[in-house]
Amino acid sequence: MNERLEEMRRRVRDREHKRFRQAAPPDISEECAAEGLSWMQRIARLACRMCEAEIPVIEPDERIVFTRTLPKLSAVFTPDEWEEIKSGRTVHAWDMINNICADWGMVLSQGLLGRKQAAIEAKERFKDDPESVEFLDCAIETIDAVLDLAKRYAAKALEVGREDLADILEHVPANPPRTFHEALQSLRFCHAALWLSSHYHVGLGRLDQYLLPYLQADIESGRLDEQSAEELLAEFFISLNKDADIYPGALQGDNGQTIVLGGVKRDGTDAVNELTWMALRAARDISMIDPKINLRISSKTDLDLLCLATELTRKGLGFPQYANDDVVIPALVAHGYELEDARDYSVAACWEFVIPGKGMEIVNIAVCSFPHAADAAIREGLAAGDDFNGIMKRTAEHINQQIENNLRPSYALKLPPGPFYSVLMDGCIENGRDLSKGLKYNNFGVHGACSASAADALAAVKKFVFEEKTIEPAELLKALEANYEGYEELRKKLAEEAPKVGNNDDAADEILVKLFDYFADACEAFGENGRGGIVRPGSGSAMFYVTLASRIGATAEGRKSGEYFSANLAPAPGTRIRGPISVFQSYSKIDYQRICNGGPITMELSDTVFRDEESIQKVAMLVRTFAQLGCQQLQLNSLNAQTLLDAKANPEKYKNLIVRVWGWSGYFCELDPPYQDHVIQRHLYATSN
Amino acid sequence: MNTGIVFDIREFTVHDGPGIRTTVFMKGCPLRCSWCHNPEGISPKPQIMKGLAGERLVGKEYTSDELAGLLNRQAEILRANEGGVTFSGGEPLLQAEFVAEVIDQLDDIHVLLDTSGFSSKENFRLLAGRCNLVFFDIKLIDREAHRHYTGQYNDPILRNLRVLSEMGTPFVVRVPLVPGVTDTKQNLEDIAKTVHGLPGLIRVDLLPYNKAAGGKYSACGMEFEPNYIENSELNADPEPFKIQGIEVKVV
Repeated sequence: MNERLEEMRRRVRDREHKRFRQAAPPDISEECAAEGLSWMQRIARLACRMCEAEIPVIEPDERIVFTRTLPKLSAVFTPDEWEEIKSGRTVHAWDMINNICADWGMVLSQGLLGRKQAAIEAKERFKDDPESVEFLDCAIETIDAVLDLAKRYAAKALEVGREDLADILEHVPANPPRTFHEALQSLRFCHAALWLSSHYHVGLGRLDQYLLPYLQADIESGRLDEQSAEELLAEFFISLNKDADIYPGALQGDNGQTIVLGGVKRDGTDAVNELTWMALRAARDISMIDPKINLRISSKTDLDLLCLATELTRKGLGFPQYANDDVVIPALVAHGYELEDARDYSVAACWEFVIPGKGMEIVNIAVCSFPHAADAAIREGLAAGDDFNGIMKRTAEHINQQIENNLRPSYALKLPPGPFYSVLMDGCIENGRDLSKGLKYNNFGVHGACSASAADALAAVKKFVFEEKTIEPAELLKALEANYEGYEELRKKLAEEAPKVGNNDDAADEILVKLFDYFADACEAFGENGRGGIVRPGSGSAMFYVTLASRIGATAEGRKSGEYFSANLAPAPGTRIRGPISVFQSYSKIDYQRICNGGPITMELSDTVFRDEESIQKVAMLVRTFAQLGCQQLQLNSLNAQTLLDAKANPEKYKNLIVRVWGWSGYFCELDPPYQDHVIQRHLYATSN
Repeated sequence: MNTGIVFDIREFTVHDGPGIRTTVFMKGCPLRCSWCHNPEGISPKPQIMKGLAGERLVGKEYTSDELAGLLNRQAEILRANEGGVTFSGGEPLLQAEFVAEVIDQLDDIHVLLDTSGFSSKENFRLLAGRCNLVFFDIKLIDREAHRHYTGQYNDPILRNLRVLSEMGTPFVVRVPLVPGVTDTKQNLEDIAKTVHGLPGLIRVDLLPYNKAAGGKYSACGMEFEPNYIENSELNADPEPFKIQGIEVKVV
């Protein structure tokens, strides 16, 4: 990274651009109410007013511009109106279209003027359909607003003597980019405009695919060399971090600015190209939290590419996240996706697979709590004198019930309109239909959370109550009721001597597999979702491994009330495991052809593992092994000082944390405090490089 | 069938040999190195370790076919990634018959022996002859100093080193650098002279001392009492080996 970028990154990290932030956005809810605007018109009005209110910012060293100055966005309904809208209707999340992926390649190649022309032509075709006309008018209005903002940026560029930028800003995003530089600038504008239209979790999709033609044309004509291209790409990445703090999400940083690299093309051939490598290098070099990188791999992925990706993992940012094409593509096909579309999948804010331009899916609409289902089944089954099969049957029924209870209110869910987002999707303009009315794919996604903990609880009951008969049902019930107070011996037996998910032990893994089968059965049984789609089961946990912890009492795997559950696909906290190979082997047993909504194996490696080229190659081999074993998704973290500090303060959460010291491994929690401090210091040193 | 006591099995031990490896830590060691960083590996018996995260029993008994079975479930993965199984400790030679029985049941897996070299000639042959690679520790050449810092004379170690080089099993000599003890110029020169020209020697690894060596003692209910100054400057100069034309790596 050169000095210009270093300085730019420093400014963003120090949040210097916050000085440009305005106090508050103009409130438009009253004017919307006074004019009696429809919801569609209000969303369009919002985009217009917010674009108008933006004040162009051009810093002297910037080559890709846009700095968001509005700290938040106006509401489009007055509080009274909003109350009325909410009553009697299920509102999803913040009730704005979110967590899908635009067809960025299409938008770039047509330019916003091209999209406007399409809208004008469509309006002629649909002139007798007032709903379509309203939608297309709104779409055109938002396009004009974004183009006007770009014009004001161009004028500002001239004002500050930046003819180079003015030339670019007069051309894009209105027209198809003439260069790689213009493509990045156009993308920056259109992406920011979606945020300004109050959409969130705005993914950037398969950037190495849709930007490639622009890069190749520049390189072939000699306008640009690889190094300058990489510098531009790095600047684009840095720019995505400028506004990240004002984007809504469950937690700071949960903003869904993901990109997806690699994989296969729509025709099934290898999609890895020079831009794939360049994007990984740029992300590694800038080492910032955005954009969040996903890398699509397969059992045949080049080990050198995995080595480069591992260098990024080494930075301790928690990405790239890997998705395995060998598993994901056929699973999508099995769920009704056309093969070409399935090959074109991107990743939503977290894990879920979405098709750019073609999916209006709600990928995280509800959760199924495996611990609730297992715990209820165990307590009821033991009280009723069930055998173990009876308990499993009850578990399946509880899962069914949860799916029904949690999803039925969302049946035929009405989505709020998104006229500008529709401009960026396939066919909305052409068909005169807003994306909220549905696209090619309209599925729901639901995650089965905290699976390992639930499987462990059932496995413990099976072993001790039914096979060895060393624990009486009544005794276990009493111990659970008492939150193990006075039952410490029993608790330890359950926690330490029972089979656990993550050790490639069929006794636990078979139950894990069954839980996911029941879950998939329940989603299938739910059937059509009222929006022309189905329900896709997944394996993520989001924040549920924490939030569910306080809602469930003691559980049969030896966990006391309030203790955290397992996150995503990971062994339960405190489980002693031998290492990553057994974890992969355990999780490779799940039938991912049915569990196709994503949700990664989550794994942390000590950053000492990343010490040299040889060990980096071993991590790359480990990632390849993940793919070869047929697992679905992997989030690999390099352990950093922050985790170690937390481990020191909360050792009970980190029993399994391994640190490598000299030629040996030790459990961090078994080190004396001064040695812990020493390791922490070393990790601080390593990650600051 | 033999049984053995194992104090840990760890997968993906990237610093314990080539490729992706799983390391089996055998419990029990005949040496008492004052810098030992695996105190739970010293006693041959299972013991309780008390850490911040609670107590646990360290040391599990396996039959040889149980352990081999566990390792064989990963055979294909270990082979596909240029790796294998490493037997470390403690001192695997202390349970040589058991380990040999395990190795005999392994399904075409590369085996590495990570050893202090302290054992009878017979036991050493028994294991080294079954391994593809040996990591052979040499700490001190001076006989009395060796006894002072490890509790044992080094005669069997140096003899087994010769046995190893005669057997033709490739090996790496590993030298733990302990400040003021093993890292002296004299000791490193002596080691270089000792290993120079030995058939089968691939290279020498110098392992710099790490101040977390005593980290696990209190969890084992033991005192860490180093009879050297931990904080003094470490000499990791590979020159004595280079002069002899020996490949050397500081790891």
